Amino acid sequence: MLAAALAGALIYPIVSHGAPATGTAAPDFVLKAVDGHNQRLSEYRGDTVILSFWASWCGPCRETLSELNTMASAPGADAPVLLGINLDGDAARAAAVAESLHLKFPTLVDTKQLVSRLYDVEKLPLTLLVDRDGQVRGAWAGDATPVPEVMRQIKELERR
Amino acid sequence: MISQLLMSNRPWRVCVAACLALAAGLVAGGARAQTEPAPAATAPAATAPAQAARGVDQDVQVLKKQLVDLNRDLFKLEEELLYPASTQVAVFLSVDVGTFFALDSVTLKVDDKEVAHYLYTDREVQALHRGGVQKLYVGNLKAGPHEIVAFFSGKGPHDRDYRRGATLRFDKQVGAKYVELRISDQMASLEPEFMVREWE
Repeated sequence: MLAAALAGALIYPIVSHGAPATGTAAPDFVLKAVDGHNQRLSEYRGDTVILSFWASWCGPCRETLSELNTMASAPGADAPVLLGINLDGDAARAAAVAESLHLKFPTLVDTKQLVSRLYDVEKLPLTLLVDRDGQVRGAWAGDATPVPEVMRQIKELERR
Repeated sequence: MISQLLMSNRPWRVCVAACLALAAGLVAGGARAQTEPAPAATAPAATAPAQAARGVDQDVQVLKKQLVDLNRDLFKLEEELLYPASTQVAVFLSVDVGTFFALDSVTLKVDDKEVAHYLYTDREVQALHRGGVQKLYVGNLKAGPHEIVAFFSGKGPHDRDYRRGATLRFDKQVGAKYVELRISDQMASLEPEFMVREWE
């Protein structure tokens, strides 16, 4: 049993597919936005990026999107790039929700659930803070994302 | 650059990056040791620290160049090992003018099997318009008859959704095969033209 536990402990880091851990590289992806433009994460290298995974049926997701939208409404020189990633698989529904919330940032549609699998999204909303080098610096899942905490982390990153 | 290598999923790149980071650390450490005057020494000339800094800078530049050269050589070696010249097939994509077609995506099938699907961002399309050539796919095929089919999606004339296919049947010989997908404007019909051609 001990041997099995040891083997499990050794194998775990290899087979575990949790959302990207803090300090690891955010996997690159390209998705179509509801406005028809394609967006690639790696093209934002050099900017701080906030990725927010959401679905139309998820209440806390809407709360998070509204909060993030206030951040997008007050852009500054060091304002982060916001990308919402909808997991409904239905671009029309995603566009309708984005419009009803007056989102000022791009809504990308993960129709084939490839990116949600890549990031192993288990709980919604999932918000990830990606720094200028493409490293994940913060992750919030399950409840409405504490946007002031995200802002604090962004300021901390800027000070480095 | 070292951090990019460290983030790479290729183990050899991580090793190279670690070695070079260590070397850079040693060079910087050595330089720091050079710049710190020995307590017993007499006061150094005012220009000594500046010269030492220049020396470190030159060392770092040389190291960076070596890193770039090594990375290039290893990349070439990796390509040669994964895709030997005898079986290699590479597919490139280029755009000539492209006023009648706004590229959105390309799906590539080799022998009826999808091998690549690529979504283009605005920046990538601009790069193609400026003359860039994209290596869309590289793989291996044995000698014999094969078929490549490419589907182009985007916006055509009058901003209409546009989807076209282009096919190339070819006999693969021993040796690398290079294929180009080319999007150009057909001025006579005011329509985009999609070509698949072999490079000799």
